[in-house]
Amino acid sequence: MSADPFDLDLAWTPVSTRLATARLTVLALWLGPLLLAAVVAAVLSGVAWLWVLPAVLVAFGGWVLWLVPRQVHALSYAEREDDLLIRRGIMFRSLVVVPYGRMQYVDVTAGPLDRRFGIAKVQLHTAASSTDASISGLPPSEAARLRDRLASRGESRLAGL
Amino acid sequence: MSAAEPTPSAPVDATEDGVGWRRMHPVTPLLKGWKVVVAVLVVGWAQVGDDLRHVADVLGGHGWMFALGGLVLVALVAVTWSGIAWRATRFAVTDEAVHIRQGVVFRQQRQARLDRLQAVDLVQPLLARLVGLAELRLEVAGGSGSRVSLAFLRESDAVALRAELLALAAGLRRPDAAGPAATAPVGSSSVPGPVPVGAGGATARVAAPAFETAPEQVLYELPMPRLLVSIALSGGTLWLAVGLVALVVAAVSGAPAEALFSVVPLVFGLASWFWARLNGAATFRAATSPDGIRLRHGLTETRSQTVPPGRVQAVRLSQPLLWRGKDWWRVQVNVAGYGAEGQSRESETVLHPVATRDEAMTALWLVLPDLGVDDPRAAVDAGLSGLDDAGGYTAAPRRARWVDPVGWRRHGVLVTRRALLLRSGRLWRRLDVVPHERTQSLGLEQGPIQRRLKVASVVAHSTPGPVTPRVEHLDAMAASALLDEQAARARQARRAAGPEQWMRSR
Repeated sequence: MSADPFDLDLAWTPVSTRLATARLTVLALWLGPLLLAAVVAAVLSGVAWLWVLPAVLVAFGGWVLWLVPRQVHALSYAEREDDLLIRRGIMFRSLVVVPYGRMQYVDVTAGPLDRRFGIAKVQLHTAASSTDASISGLPPSEAARLRDRLASRGESRLAGL
Repeated sequence: MSAAEPTPSAPVDATEDGVGWRRMHPVTPLLKGWKVVVAVLVVGWAQVGDDLRHVADVLGGHGWMFALGGLVLVALVAVTWSGIAWRATRFAVTDEAVHIRQGVVFRQQRQARLDRLQAVDLVQPLLARLVGLAELRLEVAGGSGSRVSLAFLRESDAVALRAELLALAAGLRRPDAAGPAATAPVGSSSVPGPVPVGAGGATARVAAPAFETAPEQVLYELPMPRLLVSIALSGGTLWLAVGLVALVVAAVSGAPAEALFSVVPLVFGLASWFWARLNGAATFRAATSPDGIRLRHGLTETRSQTVPPGRVQAVRLSQPLLWRGKDWWRVQVNVAGYGAEGQSRESETVLHPVATRDEAMTALWLVLPDLGVDDPRAAVDAGLSGLDDAGGYTAAPRRARWVDPVGWRRHGVLVTRRALLLRSGRLWRRLDVVPHERTQSLGLEQGPIQRRLKVASVVAHSTPGPVTPRVEHLDAMAASALLDEQAARARQARRAAGPEQWMRSR
């Protein structure tokens, strides 16, 4: 076994990097107008310390620009014979193992922006509400393949509760 | 929504779709209407509770007449509405499912599959008990709001219906049905035949099954003195003491009366908390039967729960700080469906409100007859009060003391052939037991400090309920290995697990 407790010697599939683009776009849509408003306010008022606000926003934007691609890179999944594993997080890491036979239903969702970037989200539901098993940023074809695979796997391994 | 509704003049026992539709007991609207009146009174009380003097002024004149008139009006409207709702509500039992139709404006028809039955509760609020009625609640674990409530039925009917539902859910057949002849569990008490439920004796059962209530054997009862002492030793008592002291100090120091009144809601809150504790756990009794675990409890509102075999998802044995001297334990369970309606129904997930250590063992045995170790007592003892690797537990390493200086020696996990035992808590001790075949999914979590220390937490996800099994700060590689092995073990246990219909061999 390797030295990383979150590796388990599996072939991990990372999600699409387009997820990072999508997430950053959403953030840019929020930050852009805010930054503009802050700059305008600073220029019009002429008060020097008002420039702190845009500076903070720019710093935040830079941090996000650095963080989000790393986060997306850390999100990956692996399919095994009987269960699906999902891994995420850099600072607070988590790994969840969902047996196919425990799945109640599978959701595939894609918002307008997601569709534009060609990604979708697959969410697995078990009888435990605490199971947080979702994979964002899958290409739609991969999402559909995974959904069908999960559905057929779940059927053949179905157990009650 | 149902496609075809019977006309209002249709007979009550309209037999459509080949099933006999039945109605609730005709007194139901009165009981439900009364509930609304009580709710209005409680809300009204909560609104004015802060301002008793003002209320006294208002009610002093002719105000009380208006208040009374308003209440009567509310009662009339509530009873009328409940009556209309009662007319629209019907239910039927087939071999596979319970069907219920309800709703006046928005009609709803619901089917609860019997092979998914998780628990059957017979609930009798005080008023219903006085007039000999009972509510039957079926949990089928379909997420929140999936509970099927049959309220209200005559008590004997409800008991007979419960026996019938459990027998059908267990995989037995009605005597007249094709297939293997029914061998209903032989009971000592015979249940009277089907009694007409509807008004004027208009109801007739299509098939008249003669399922008898399964015999039961009482395992433990909760003595009243112990319950009272246990409540006195709970956190609520501390708050009450603080409140009383504050009140006395305020009174002695000559605080204005308004200030004293402000304490009133607090006192009422505490009183209702105590009452809920007492009412839920009083006369607690647990028994085994072929139908599963039977729990009976309640002072004014009595509740008789039946949880079929294999329906308990996880067990927690926990000990509040003040119970340590007595070595008492609270035993709680996760049953799919019980947890879905929010946290308010605390009393229905309790397997034993105040158990001695022996009784706690019995309660655990009730759920999991075979713990999968040669010496279950030692394993549980080590889980309840053991430290480090006592009893064969895999404990948190010494470096975990940096993240949990008090409790690090208690974090530990034991894997047996049948279950996962997770212990934690130095002051508030806790032991969670999850049978392998009931594991839903597993998680491994690690924060930045844990990463530095090369430790990680393992979470076993269970159905919603009071038990949230997790063990903190295990050695990271050991935790990872545990996760991997546990996934395989759970898979094997599921394959070997018994059928959902527990009276049927696979």
